[in-house]
Amino acid sequence: MLDYLISIMLTAGIYAIFALGLNLQWGYSGLLNFGHVAFMAIGAYATVLLGMNGVPLIFAVLAGMVLAGACGAFLGVATLRLREDYLAIVTIGFSEIIRFLLLNWSSLTRGSFGLYGYPRPLEGLVAHEDYNIVLAGIVIIVLLLVYALLEVLAKSPWGRVLKSVRDDEAVSISLGKNAFSYKVQALALGSAIAALSGSLLAFYLQYINPNNFQPIETFYAWIMVIMGGSGSNRGTIVGAILLWGFFSTTRFLEGYISFSPSASSAARMVIIGVILIGLMMFRPQGLFGRKEDLAVGK
Amino acid sequence: MIGQLIANGIVYGCIIALGAIGLSLAYRIMNFANFAHGDFLTLGAYLTLFFAATLNLGFPAACILAIPVTAAFAVALDIGIWKPMRSIGASRTAIMILSIGVSIAIRNALIIFFRPDALRFPLPVMESMNLGGILLTSFQISVVLIALASMLVVHALLSRTVLGKSMRALADNPDLARITGINVDRVIRYTWMVSMGLAALAGIMFGLITHINPNMGWSIILPMFAAAILGGIGNAYGAMAGGLIIGLAQEISTAILPAEYKIAVSFAIMIAVLFFRPNGLLGGG
Amino acid sequence: MENEILRIEGAIKRFGGLLAVDGCSLSVQEGTIVGLIGPNGAGKSTLFDLISGFVRPDAGSIIFSGKQIGGLPAYRIARLGLVRTFQIPRALMRMTVLENMMLGSQNQTGEMIFRPILSWGRVQAQERSIEKKAEEILKFFDLLRMKDEYAGSMSGGQKKMLEMARALMADPRLLLLDEPFSGVNPALSERLIERIKMLREKGLTIMIIEHAIPYVLALSDELYVLNKGAILANGRPDQVISDPKVFEAYLGVGFDAQH
Repeated sequence: MLDYLISIMLTAGIYAIFALGLNLQWGYSGLLNFGHVAFMAIGAYATVLLGMNGVPLIFAVLAGMVLAGACGAFLGVATLRLREDYLAIVTIGFSEIIRFLLLNWSSLTRGSFGLYGYPRPLEGLVAHEDYNIVLAGIVIIVLLLVYALLEVLAKSPWGRVLKSVRDDEAVSISLGKNAFSYKVQALALGSAIAALSGSLLAFYLQYINPNNFQPIETFYAWIMVIMGGSGSNRGTIVGAILLWGFFSTTRFLEGYISFSPSASSAARMVIIGVILIGLMMFRPQGLFGRKEDLAVGK
Repeated sequence: MIGQLIANGIVYGCIIALGAIGLSLAYRIMNFANFAHGDFLTLGAYLTLFFAATLNLGFPAACILAIPVTAAFAVALDIGIWKPMRSIGASRTAIMILSIGVSIAIRNALIIFFRPDALRFPLPVMESMNLGGILLTSFQISVVLIALASMLVVHALLSRTVLGKSMRALADNPDLARITGINVDRVIRYTWMVSMGLAALAGIMFGLITHINPNMGWSIILPMFAAAILGGIGNAYGAMAGGLIIGLAQEISTAILPAEYKIAVSFAIMIAVLFFRPNGLLGGG
Repeated sequence: MENEILRIEGAIKRFGGLLAVDGCSLSVQEGTIVGLIGPNGAGKSTLFDLISGFVRPDAGSIIFSGKQIGGLPAYRIARLGLVRTFQIPRALMRMTVLENMMLGSQNQTGEMIFRPILSWGRVQAQERSIEKKAEEILKFFDLLRMKDEYAGSMSGGQKKMLEMARALMADPRLLLLDEPFSGVNPALSERLIERIKMLREKGLTIMIIEHAIPYVLALSDELYVLNKGAILANGRPDQVISDPKVFEAYLGVGFDAQH
């Protein structure tokens, strides 16, 4: 039971970090990143591959973040001068391309066979069975650090400019702010945070393969952010807990329903789709937000 | 060898083009990128399979039934979702996020009803014909002919009919269109019907030359967007040309790149177009 | 002229086949208020877009305090001290009034990513002084009591005032006001006139687009009349307004429906 709780805490924590990166982009800056999972994949693979080649893990994680940040910035430079839908289209394409690349670049990634047996942080410290407790500690600390960083930045003059770009880019420009540069920065930083969550996910799973990084993962993050109220870091974390609560409850219920495994996971996905539709139609301000907060944004 | 790749590219390009026309039309009239578009290709293909199996219809009759049913489903979706979103004045971004939800729901509902495995249409396996060294099945040839015929129909619809005129008016200036008495909701619903009817057709044809599975439409959303952007998003004729170019580029690329990277080719083209000609090849600088 | 702060020569802007600004030339003296009037569709707002860099001129030169600014990105022009407001009030709806104001301040260390953490003390000190300045300006416009409310909850007139106040946070040398009186009630408008005059006393140069002729006459030191994208007349407001040419231009297209 404890193991189960710790594993839920780990996944919820890792996805909360992942979603916090998206909240910076969507909640604070209004950027439609539909390919967030690509940056998680980049972080996971960069960390694992570098770690397997003897690079100290802390540098491996940082390298993944830098690489993901650079990719995010590149996609931003390509599309952010255009209408906002282009970013959505290009990022969703990017996330599929990254997955194809990981699947097919077998000499590096071993394709769908996946990678395992890679080093994990503080592994020698405890017995293998207890490792998840250590990792949960690491995840919580990282989550708190990322949360604190984003809270400070969001309330800082930097965050103020981001919000102004989200609300009305022209105003921001008329006051001397280089709106384009801020959007690229938000995209890069959010992508780097996604990479960080990817490294942690790899440490947790002990085995990664490209199919861990399906497009749907991106939209889990979207649901977390929107459910908690876009633009609220705390709400995003609550959203992550709620969504993982939903997953664990439905997995638990599955034991009582005689569905084939593929049908029951598809049924869960239908519910996920319906939740997203319902949120956008009836509670775009999130489960706890006041409608006025969003209505004034029209 | 290259001739064969060009032929394959044209066949594949025709399917992408049909998908992209619908995507582009919907973008122009409804003003958002519909990420659920690919799943309507899938829906069209599965409905065909379903009608052929359950109603004991011949394959052509099943196709002819599946297309209007897909279009009807699109209209139902407009009544249930898009119209309410329009009425509350939801932003374009909100509607795009919602379209992702629709996409996830449709795709997985199909998995529940039809299982995730790949299926084939109940048709005999065709021998390839040898046309001057190029091997083509009669399915592939019919795909090209049907696609070309559909494009002509779309052209006639856009240029010769009242609906086409209303669609243009609505796209150019929604407020003006409203004042001049155009029934906006009706034009939008007809646009959905045309767009999704074409999507269903594209899905059927895609199933005809490969197989059908619940992910098929989603898996080609990227080439379809690439084609639409290449042709200048919102431009139906551009989407036709864009589809053919993307199809050809993907197939011809296999002469020098491993076939797995086909889809990356359309992504690369899309990025290049956005960098250098964001309004598309046919649009102004 | 040595006190010239803005000079436009032969500015041209085409939108498709339409010549929105057609060889417009004008000059603005430092420390004055210059009115810009003209019938609807004369190209007034497009001219502001050209000056502030939101639209690139097709031809002509725009010189701001001796520097060619035509073609510079808009945010760079704003940093030089040339700040514009918008015709339709554009408050940042999901930000508070105070946040709106503080955004306007220039050269903020904390606007560089990570500096709010690396230079915590310096950024906090700056924030305090920016907040103080913001409160002073809000007081000047009678908006101080609203400082913690979302800007989206303000009335149209209040948004207009906020916009002007926010622009002042940038310490502009030249302020372009696009219809500052639209949506502002008459009583408030009288006070706004006094405040704009006070800004001039402090040495600020102001260009105003305004439909309400009496307000323009009350404020302007010089008046330009724009018609079909070109300057039709300019000079002392009372002279310009009695020019039969000007009257005809307005008659030709009819007065703006609002006034």
